Amino acid sequence: MSNDALHRLIAAWLDGRITAEDSAALQETLRTSPEARGEFRRWTQLDAALREQAERGVEAAVAEKIVPVRFRTLGWLAAAASFAALLGISALWMHDRRHVAAPQLAHQAPEQTNTGCAILTRATDAEFADATGLRVGDTIRPGALRLTRGAAQIEFFSGASMILQAGASLELVSPWEAVCRAGKVTVRVPPPAQGFKLRTAGMDLVDLGTEFGVNADAGGATEVHVFEGKVEAHPENAAMQLLSTGQSLRRAGDHTLSPGQAKPEDFPSIEGLNAISASHAQARYDAWWQYVQKENSDPRLIGCFLFKHWRDDRWDRFINNFAEPRVTSRSGGAVGARWTEGRWPMKDALEFKSPGDRVRVNLGQETYSAITLAAWVRVDGLDRKYNALLLTDGYDPGNPHWQIYEDGRLMFSVAYPIPGELDAKKKNNQIYYSPPVFDLTNQRRWHHIAVTYDNQSGAAVQYLDGREISREVSPFHQPGRPLHFGFCEIGNWGLPTQGHQFPIRNFNGRIDEFLIYQAALTPAEIHELFESGKPE
Amino acid sequence: MTADEPENLSPAGGPDAGYEAFVRLLVEHEPRLRAYLRGLLPTWADVEEVMQNASLVAWRKFSEFQQDTNFGGWLLTIARFEALKHRRNMARSPLVFSDDVWDLLASESSAEADPAHRRREALEKCLGKLPGAQRELVLQAHTPGARLKEIARQSGSSEQAFYKTIQRLRAALLECISRTLAQEGQA
Repeated sequence: MSNDALHRLIAAWLDGRITAEDSAALQETLRTSPEARGEFRRWTQLDAALREQAERGVEAAVAEKIVPVRFRTLGWLAAAASFAALLGISALWMHDRRHVAAPQLAHQAPEQTNTGCAILTRATDAEFADATGLRVGDTIRPGALRLTRGAAQIEFFSGASMILQAGASLELVSPWEAVCRAGKVTVRVPPPAQGFKLRTAGMDLVDLGTEFGVNADAGGATEVHVFEGKVEAHPENAAMQLLSTGQSLRRAGDHTLSPGQAKPEDFPSIEGLNAISASHAQARYDAWWQYVQKENSDPRLIGCFLFKHWRDDRWDRFINNFAEPRVTSRSGGAVGARWTEGRWPMKDALEFKSPGDRVRVNLGQETYSAITLAAWVRVDGLDRKYNALLLTDGYDPGNPHWQIYEDGRLMFSVAYPIPGELDAKKKNNQIYYSPPVFDLTNQRRWHHIAVTYDNQSGAAVQYLDGREISREVSPFHQPGRPLHFGFCEIGNWGLPTQGHQFPIRNFNGRIDEFLIYQAALTPAEIHELFESGKPE
Repeated sequence: MTADEPENLSPAGGPDAGYEAFVRLLVEHEPRLRAYLRGLLPTWADVEEVMQNASLVAWRKFSEFQQDTNFGGWLLTIARFEALKHRRNMARSPLVFSDDVWDLLASESSAEADPAHRRREALEKCLGKLPGAQRELVLQAHTPGARLKEIARQSGSSEQAFYKTIQRLRAALLECISRTLAQEGQA
């Protein structure tokens, strides 16, 4: 039986619509062929996995039904009379389930591998045709790469770098080879990458060191200009020519060879790329700065830390709170953390590295019924079990804690006393995890993260780069219990009292904006925060 | 300073360690149990019912389970027996396989090629690669309680064409999952 025929029968069985005749055929195949049984198993496993996925989708879409849906997984269990006692701890499993899963994952995960051949190192207003999600720092796999807008620079693992102009259509083959199908590129080859090969429709080019430009036009003509060093040009059906600094060669659509017609300034250059990326960064920065100057008078804003370095602050440790009207007592103080470059070259950020690095803030004694925490962060590594974003000094009832768990999940938590429990130290811990968001592929670049929490609905909604990634109500939720900050820290946890041991939760990375609202912003508002501040 | 780690907090009811250990194991092995039973039983209603029975039996026998041995295997043995009991009460239909085929499937399916979490991650990755509309369609078709005829009608295609589309999407996903797992397998 062909695979397609087998698949048709399995699908019909899974969908509950198989005919007696087809069922007989399917069973006969299963009876005689171990491969068919293997295939059957794969299909039924997929059916179960897809159902699980679809259920999760439903949870995300229907926020208020989250608790019932989550519980339904084990609902029948709790429904059985002999299991009534389990209900009491059912909420705990939900946490434990995830909590336990993480170290196992870390333990079992194979060594990370990478199949790329180059890295996207710069992108200015760039759009790629086949790789919409491509961002600076990403590894690029072999295959097509078409730049439809802006300018970009890629660096091959061999060491060769290439600047692409809008319209360039490439095929990356390996760290040592690429094909230019159309458009203009400039290649720079340092000594270790000598021998890097760029192929075009009618000509192969082998770089013997330094810099050349290529223009492949739509009519089939290819032109190469050597700006510095030497290049071997191998035109199809013609002898190799060695081109040196200042020399050029054109292979026309009709295969005739002649010196090039273009001028060096027609090719993309590193100076040009520097200039446009600087002006693009300035424009993004200006747009963000205008936006926050409006945004900072939002009456819901209680903390607006923009990490602008005050050059005239002699001590250099003052973290201004830009929320209007200004409340000086709510400004922050940096400890250890150093000033560094933020989302753009003209924007400052604080870098947190050492276990002592932190920003201390006192947000006052007010209590709130809803909050939003939103920050631009660059995670350099997840060194600790819990990596602090913002934590109140203690963990008293109603104190919010916002962290990144070691497996890359965002983690928001708040705890309240157990109703009817006499021991005040015992608390119900409402912990909300997002799906994993930080891994090796997206560290060391800027991301916008946010969480909103509303004490009426009990929904904690988490966001990455302006997009909702999780929405959950804790089984412990009871409406109306107040939230409270008081003394807290960005990027670390807890003011150790004298001689007291404290857990190390320092954040490793950079923060260049941190907003705290006394309200739960809407998904549209979070999206706007992301859009107005995104680096590229 | 109060720790905010889950393990430092006492649960509300203070249940004994047995419950907790059992539930922890059950939750961990639930996806595997489901997938196993799905390969033996013709509808999700059957699967859910047998899962319930198997879990209850497992709980009653939990004291017999040797800690630190293979809980998954132990649970599937119970599940197989419960599925067999359930099968005896099912009416004959083209959906119900004959005894010999059923035995083959039941005894072979308990071995697991790749850990469930890796398969799940691979599936998520592969779903992500599907165009939005197709991903939507395939998830819609697998949503509990979904009526395929209804979805076919809404998607504007004939029932036959719809079934064919879903079949192709499943095949494409399986292909992609295999490839993803194979790639990850290379250290």
